[in-house]
Amino acid sequence: MADIPLAPDAATTPNRSAGKVLVASQWQLMWWRFRRHKLAMAGTVVVLLFYVVVVLADFLAYSDPNSSEAFRSLLPPQPIHFFDQGTFRPHVYGLVGERDPATFKRIYVPDPENKIPVGFFVPGYSYKLFGVIPTNIHLFGALEGRTEDSIFLFGTDVQGRDIWSRLMVGTATSLTIGLAGVVVSLFLGLLLGGISGFYGGWVDNVIQRVIEILRSIPTIPLWMGLAAAMPRDWSVIQIYLAITLIISVIGWTELARVVRGRFLSLREEDFVMAAELAGCSRMRIIFRHMLPSFFSHIIAAVTLAFPAMILSETSLSFLGLGMRPPAVSWGVLLQQAQNVQAIAISPWLLIPAIPVILVILAFNFMGDGIRDAADPYS
Amino acid sequence: MLSYILRRLLLALGTAWAISVLAFIIIQLPPGDYITTYIAQLAADGTTVSDAEAAALREQYGLDQPIYVQYAKWMGQVMRGNYGMSMEWGRPVADLIGERLWLTVAVAIAAIIFTWILALPIGVYSAVRRYSLGDYVFTVIGFLGLAIPNFLLALALMYFGYVFFSANIGGLFSPELVDAPWSGAKLWDLIQHLPVPAIVLGVAGTAEMIRVMRANLLDELNKPYVKTARARGLAESRVILKYPVRVALNPFVSTIGYLFPYIVSGSIIVSLVLGLPTVGPLLLRALLAQDMFLAGAIVLMLGIMTVIGTLISDLLLMWVDPRIRMGAR
Amino acid sequence: MGRFTRRSILKGSALIASGAIIGQGLPMAAFAQEPLGSQLIGPLEGPEIVLDPARFPTSFAEAPALAERVASGDLPPVSERVGQDPLVVAPLHEIGIYGGTLRKGFVGPSDQWSGVRIGGHDTVLAMDYSNTRVMPNIAKAFEWSDDGLVLTLSLRRGMKWSDGHPFTTDDFLFWYEDIYSYADLTASPHAQMSINGKPITMEKVDDLTVRYVCPEPYPLLPELLAGAGVMGFGHAQYGRTLQGGFAPAHYMKQFHPKYTPQEEVDAAAAEAGFDNWQALFKFKIDWAINLEVPSVTAWKPATPANTPTWRLERNPYSIYVDTAGNQLPYIDDIVMTLAENLEVLNLRAVAGEFDYQERHIDLSKLPVLIENQERGNYSVHLDPGAYGGDFLIRPNLTFPADTDAEIAKWLTSVEFRRALSLGIERDQLNETFWLGIGTPGSPIPEVENAYYPGDGYRTLWHTYDPDQANQILDGLGLTQKDGEGFRMRTDGAGRLRFEFMTFAGMFLPFTQIAEMVAAQWRAIGIEANVVEVERGLGSNRVSGNEYQLWAWSNDTTETLFTAIHALPISTSPASQNPLMGLWYDTNGEQGVAPPERIQEAMALYRQGASVPPEERGELGKAIWKTIVEDVVQIGCVGLSPALMGVRVVNNRLGNAPQRQFNSTVVRTPGGSLPETFFWKA
Repeated sequence: MADIPLAPDAATTPNRSAGKVLVASQWQLMWWRFRRHKLAMAGTVVVLLFYVVVVLADFLAYSDPNSSEAFRSLLPPQPIHFFDQGTFRPHVYGLVGERDPATFKRIYVPDPENKIPVGFFVPGYSYKLFGVIPTNIHLFGALEGRTEDSIFLFGTDVQGRDIWSRLMVGTATSLTIGLAGVVVSLFLGLLLGGISGFYGGWVDNVIQRVIEILRSIPTIPLWMGLAAAMPRDWSVIQIYLAITLIISVIGWTELARVVRGRFLSLREEDFVMAAELAGCSRMRIIFRHMLPSFFSHIIAAVTLAFPAMILSETSLSFLGLGMRPPAVSWGVLLQQAQNVQAIAISPWLLIPAIPVILVILAFNFMGDGIRDAADPYS
Repeated sequence: MLSYILRRLLLALGTAWAISVLAFIIIQLPPGDYITTYIAQLAADGTTVSDAEAAALREQYGLDQPIYVQYAKWMGQVMRGNYGMSMEWGRPVADLIGERLWLTVAVAIAAIIFTWILALPIGVYSAVRRYSLGDYVFTVIGFLGLAIPNFLLALALMYFGYVFFSANIGGLFSPELVDAPWSGAKLWDLIQHLPVPAIVLGVAGTAEMIRVMRANLLDELNKPYVKTARARGLAESRVILKYPVRVALNPFVSTIGYLFPYIVSGSIIVSLVLGLPTVGPLLLRALLAQDMFLAGAIVLMLGIMTVIGTLISDLLLMWVDPRIRMGAR
Repeated sequence: MGRFTRRSILKGSALIASGAIIGQGLPMAAFAQEPLGSQLIGPLEGPEIVLDPARFPTSFAEAPALAERVASGDLPPVSERVGQDPLVVAPLHEIGIYGGTLRKGFVGPSDQWSGVRIGGHDTVLAMDYSNTRVMPNIAKAFEWSDDGLVLTLSLRRGMKWSDGHPFTTDDFLFWYEDIYSYADLTASPHAQMSINGKPITMEKVDDLTVRYVCPEPYPLLPELLAGAGVMGFGHAQYGRTLQGGFAPAHYMKQFHPKYTPQEEVDAAAAEAGFDNWQALFKFKIDWAINLEVPSVTAWKPATPANTPTWRLERNPYSIYVDTAGNQLPYIDDIVMTLAENLEVLNLRAVAGEFDYQERHIDLSKLPVLIENQERGNYSVHLDPGAYGGDFLIRPNLTFPADTDAEIAKWLTSVEFRRALSLGIERDQLNETFWLGIGTPGSPIPEVENAYYPGDGYRTLWHTYDPDQANQILDGLGLTQKDGEGFRMRTDGAGRLRFEFMTFAGMFLPFTQIAEMVAAQWRAIGIEANVVEVERGLGSNRVSGNEYQLWAWSNDTTETLFTAIHALPISTSPASQNPLMGLWYDTNGEQGVAPPERIQEAMALYRQGASVPPEERGELGKAIWKTIVEDVVQIGCVGLSPALMGVRVVNNRLGNAPQRQFNSTVVRTPGGSLPETFFWKA
């Protein structure tokens, strides 16, 4: 029978990482496992980048998102040229536009003789940085004339509004709604799921039934009913908050289910019984002992709830129930692209779908990675 | 065990009743009623409806009663199998839903089949070649379906279907065969029209299925019997496919129960965009027009299907997993 | 510097509706430019309704399928079926050949207009294709008595309903006595059935002659009978609302308690699932839903409109014949497929799945339609409307001062409305939402219209002049502005803010257009909050006198004296001010009195019904002048093909006009007589 060392001496262990593993904390273990999942790492980076955009949305935009001008309607994307005869001098070409009488499309012809220089940290439309500091400096913009008339990285929509700028601002709105929705869902889910799982009995039954009812009702009628009950003369902010609540109404059920499941299984664990016998208060047991065990699962579930929130917002806008002009969100942008002429003639209007896809993929991979890393049995 | 089944049944009934109440409330929630819509339509046509006529119409449709009276009347009718008349279509609700139900089922089944075809191989590959490049690539593909807003995808596919394949725009049948009686040709026509809806609806569900498949399979692959099989020299493909995959599929059986209503609910928008003659667009119109009986019947139907589906799933699960049967908490 | 400017664009976008009008280009267009879209606007043309007996055919022919049925004894011969006085039509281009199916699209059971406009225009009389002359239709002829008080309609000898039963005066009288005048079916009389408050009556002279007896001269009556009035609307579209002028008496009597015992009628209703006999009656008379009700339209529903495919097939007893004696229609059936949403319908049009479609086609998709013409084997035509306001803004002139005195004060102020109008940059709207094809300006109709008040009135108060607007607003006392530049209320209650109501699902994106207008008003310091509502609720708000500003259109005002969208003379919730309409209807006893200038205009309007068409010109012009001078409505863009004016026509379809008059009164495309369309070999 081989000798099985009971407690390998750290000093004599030839493998240093094995030693590290032995004394690594729970979070470090999770992190190492998470790192192995390349998609999850990539997803996290993407999510962080997006939230940088959320914070700096107006700074990254260069044109006032609501500045409409019919004679720049449906401009295709125009590139920035970086070199002017060898020297580094970023510029865009001026444009001449006309409606073609035969096809009724607006045709824009760039004029290479007309170079409009582009610079960094250029004044543009006014906004409040981080919501507090009034400023008008943007990351880049036209050095001559109005940026609104010059730079069109992603083209313009039917009202002549710059898509890149609207996308920046829309990203901020949608991801904030997503975040708010998740927070509300998390709160409700933790509260109700926790009560359900910890106390059990008839409380559990009632909450479970409520969850089941909510999940059985088709979401769209539920949304339509709630949205229709919303007074139409509310301000943009009020509608924004109401929409968040409407989306969360379904979202919390998933989180509650996870929380309840965890509570149910943990309740039987020895350490909980030990804590009870030791005289810990309920609160202390829940927060100090049980919560940390499934915290990582909560994070995973929360991360995975984001995509649903974002998709819900776009669906609501499609139905005409979501954010409305002058608010800009992904849903609003996609809704304006949801027609035949966009797909057939002005496909750049569909560009806002790309960040939607990226973010949803990113959140999914991130969440999967966290879940995999947190689960000790896989 | 019997008591457990009975309890579940009673609970399901209670849930179903609660759903009926909620469904009714949701539909009535928007201000106004069907007559409001009807009057506006006539006004746009140039016909004025006087207040007296409006009141008479409301009485005719029973819309002047308080809401709980309307609910009681409706529930009474439904219990007796009379789902009422659609105010917009002027036809019995049962007829309207009935003629679309089979097509809804067909589309849902096609979507489910597509999901399985796409998700299962990716799930298996993902579990077996974890963290490899192939895993990443296929996972991204599998999750793309979830990430792309389905209404946009539907419109794009419809347009490109026409541009590249001269396909009919939307619908489930070619215009010539829409009204024709069922025949082999009509069936084949339907099958030819199903791919676009199946793809759009199916891709959304692949992500979840990949996840579950991968998780289940990983659980199985770590079990001792797999190591044993490998050690005994079985070909790798047999090692994976013969037992672990089959075991990993088990939980899917129980999900079938509520899969159908889930897909139908999730397909409402896509069906509208694609112009499919299914229950989804019917529901949307009814909600907008506040066509009470039609909308109520469909919402109730979907809700109850979900409840039944969940019940079946629970019962199946219970049958498979003895721990639940024993009432362990 | 060559910045992206407007000048370079404006060169190519002079904006006109019809090729016949002199270019109304913007000041910079110094050289003759083809107005945008003119290559798609053809000459107005249509078939001729022949009245000269010398040109009437003496022998008749019919569709092969019908000939077979005659041979097998199923139907009487064609000469018996069309009767002795068929409606003779000289087709636009050529005599056609029988056969084929016309494919169209519709959007649901509430879209009966789709079927009625193409195949169901059974108005008592009808406007000709150019909307200038009243022609016979169901009735063979009409004549005023010498004193101008009795209008006599002659019916067609041998004319039959689609089930073979004779069509006689009894069908008119049944409508007048047992539907219109029957209290349990019609709650209140219709304003059009009276002149200056005194009711007109219908009388039977004999089986083929019916007359309207008017207490005072009512020269508007023939136009009302031609589809603009409740007594002339026809049975196909308006039967279900118990209007129209005639109804199939022999069929409907079985559902009417005057002829069938009440218990039987009630029992029949209950059995069919209706709560009362009136509901059953309305169902049974419905041309689009009840396949058994007889009709006199050229095509008759073979499947009802509440199914996914609405099919109309030829009516063997159609009264229409061409000059060679062929019984019309040439085309066997019309098949309309249900489109669950408008994108699908438009995409089908793009793909060439429709043969003659103008309804529900979206102007903004014009480039896509043009791109796919060849592949889809169709041509695109533009039929601009003759009315000046596709999108205009209606201020609520009766907004209650009790609710908000400040808002009421400004909405009722002519100067304020002028300022609002001057603050709208219409070129922007036109270029964005009308592809530059519309005409910016006031709500007045097109130049050729009989009531066109003069070129100056297109632009009076309807140009873009923010300086003058600001001046006017300052002059009115709205000088206080808040931090963001919005004007403050004079009563000290904060910012001056208006609610701007729009309806969802209009033929143009009204809400987006309204948003653009609201954005433009910022420059003159006015805040407008755009609120989109469902139609039903919107109607409620209008009836309840709750709205402040409302985006609507004024189509049908090209025929001013039968329209309700020019002056607020109607109590309908589609009218601008139902309370003023009530004042007009009750001669001042109820409702809210309009301002004096509008009262004067209303008096002229009332007069218009009593004078012959030749004398109405000056009255109409004066009315439009008042509307523009007082900015009763704020016009934006009009005279465009936005509403049912973008038409795709299969290249193989014969006798299709290059341009049709686009109007509800003409039942477009009814005025082009689709009975004469045919499939070229």
